[in-house]
Amino acid sequence: MSTNSSRGSRKDHQSVSGLAALLACGMMMAFTLASMPAFANIADGAMSDGDAKCLKCHSRNLKKSMEDGGKLSLHVAVADFADSAHSKIGCTGCHQDIANRKHPKTKVAIASERDYSLAMNQVCGNCHAAKAQQYEGSIHANLVTDGDHAAPVCTDCHSAHAVKSQALYEPVTGQSCKTCHENIFEAYAQSVHGEARTNGNVIRASHIQAPICADCHQAHDVKAVAAGELVQSTCLSCHDGAALAHEKWLPNAGHHLEIVSCAACHAPMAERRIDLQLYDKLTQVPVGQQENQAVFQQRLEDIDQSSDDLDPLELWKLVRRTSQEGQATDVTLRGRMEVSTGADAHRLAIKGSAVRECDSCHQKGSSAFQNVTVSITRPDGRKQRYEADRDVLTSVISVDTVGNFYAAGGTRIKLLDGLLILGIIAGLAVPVGHIAVGKILKRNQ
Amino acid sequence: MQAMQANQTHVGQTYLHPLPVRIWHWINALGFVLLMLTGVQIRYADLFSVMTFESALNVHNWIGFVIIANYFLWLGYYLTSDRISNYHAVLNAKDFFNNYYRQAVYYSYGIFRGEKRPHNVQPHDKFNPMQRLTYQVIMMISGPIQIVTGLMMWDVKRFESWIALAGGIRVVSTIHMLVFILFVVFILVHAYMGVLGRKPSTHYKEMFTGYAEDGDH
Repeated sequence: MSTNSSRGSRKDHQSVSGLAALLACGMMMAFTLASMPAFANIADGAMSDGDAKCLKCHSRNLKKSMEDGGKLSLHVAVADFADSAHSKIGCTGCHQDIANRKHPKTKVAIASERDYSLAMNQVCGNCHAAKAQQYEGSIHANLVTDGDHAAPVCTDCHSAHAVKSQALYEPVTGQSCKTCHENIFEAYAQSVHGEARTNGNVIRASHIQAPICADCHQAHDVKAVAAGELVQSTCLSCHDGAALAHEKWLPNAGHHLEIVSCAACHAPMAERRIDLQLYDKLTQVPVGQQENQAVFQQRLEDIDQSSDDLDPLELWKLVRRTSQEGQATDVTLRGRMEVSTGADAHRLAIKGSAVRECDSCHQKGSSAFQNVTVSITRPDGRKQRYEADRDVLTSVISVDTVGNFYAAGGTRIKLLDGLLILGIIAGLAVPVGHIAVGKILKRNQ
Repeated sequence: MQAMQANQTHVGQTYLHPLPVRIWHWINALGFVLLMLTGVQIRYADLFSVMTFESALNVHNWIGFVIIANYFLWLGYYLTSDRISNYHAVLNAKDFFNNYYRQAVYYSYGIFRGEKRPHNVQPHDKFNPMQRLTYQVIMMISGPIQIVTGLMMWDVKRFESWIALAGGIRVVSTIHMLVFILFVVFILVHAYMGVLGRKPSTHYKEMFTGYAEDGDH
């Protein structure tokens, strides 16, 4: 019984072992099959043996401890890399330091993931020198320099290992930009540009060319949106007939195009504001590009001790003192109508919806003149804005401080309204007084 | 010659206002009123809505050009006529102030007493001292200022450098407004002074006929 029983037990054991072996074989086959597309590239010669050797380890979920306590993933998605534009240059095309030493035995300390990304950012420039140079002058690079940890480096937009050629990007997803600028992208997606890009030739075939983010903001030389002139000239570069079209119906069209941002009329639901940029008339350089911002800030605090919105007199003092004490020599304020938020600036509507009524701005109490900011311009083109009282546009002091900005009716000077009333009273007082004097004299005759 | 013939047929009257001056005057009068009304509509769209801002601006601009052309009609006439003496400045300050004072006293007192007018009106000296100064300022200072500032605002880009020289568009606009206020006062007083003839209609009629009654200025 026991023998039978033990024989039976051995038989059972053999069948379990066989099942396990079969299962293991099946799993191996499944793993092999799953891995086949990636390794097929290696087999096809898309990857070198060296790369295959790297990926043998890095296709696994490796992690490296960093000095900041975090874990850096060393995993490379094999299929993505094989499919990337960089598969041709291989792993050592970027990771040359790895090739020149014994890897992985030699350990290299990495402070943080950000530090590693910044270091690798320099490597991109080895091949993409022109692009790297453009990036260096961009708002993104300036933010990096300022220590902004959220500011993107090359790999944040292009990814580290799944780098695709530009032509393969699906622009409408806005993937790169959307990651950080989601609300702006959503506004864009619903705009006339986003709709045209998504739906193609709903209006006309050329709309398939409707701009994506980089068309207006540049791909690498990304400029501060606040540098409105840049964006405006970009609008006109596609809408080349727009200036002429405005000339046909809009009085002073050229002047309007200069001092009113396109979005202020073409994003009709947007909240508008007036930005008064401190600007040196003589050197033609915005204040802030040459002067230390902290110095300006201190001057502002000295003048506006209550730290509320700048009133007309405070603004006048600020302009005067910036001329006298700052590096600028003859400071003025350049007024410009803008939309209040970046998202609003992207809510561009179809032409028929654009603001066309002059009264929208050219009358007292217009919403366009309720929000006023005074700005200096940082060296990277970004504006630092300070809130100002709306009276700065209608005070008599504005003749001196805001001499370059005036919207008939909308920013009229209150004192002149009073003078007009006085003028009418005086003009009527002469006949009334004269007749009265005549009657008095006749009565006394 | 024309005046002499006129004097021959209008006893007790002087041919004071030649045809070009009368045409200029009434075009100017109508233009001024329309410019003022459309100007008020432009500036005070929140208070008046007789027409849209766009229409008011267009009408204002067109009339502005008519007034500019009209100004040159006036200027051309006087520059080629010996009647420009009407606008000559009185260089003797003592005479000027004495005559100005006498005219002011007349307007404020003598006119009600039926006194003789202190200024003897002649075709080549038709303005009394107060009128002469007023019209010198209106025609040679404030009028041109209004024309130039109006042109600057009509096409800001075209006159960009002039505007910069003036100190900016708001400066230009403010000057335009100040001169407008001056014109408002002038028009009201001018219209009233027009009724101070022998009869209230006398001076108005003479601006149509050209003939002024002797001793009525």
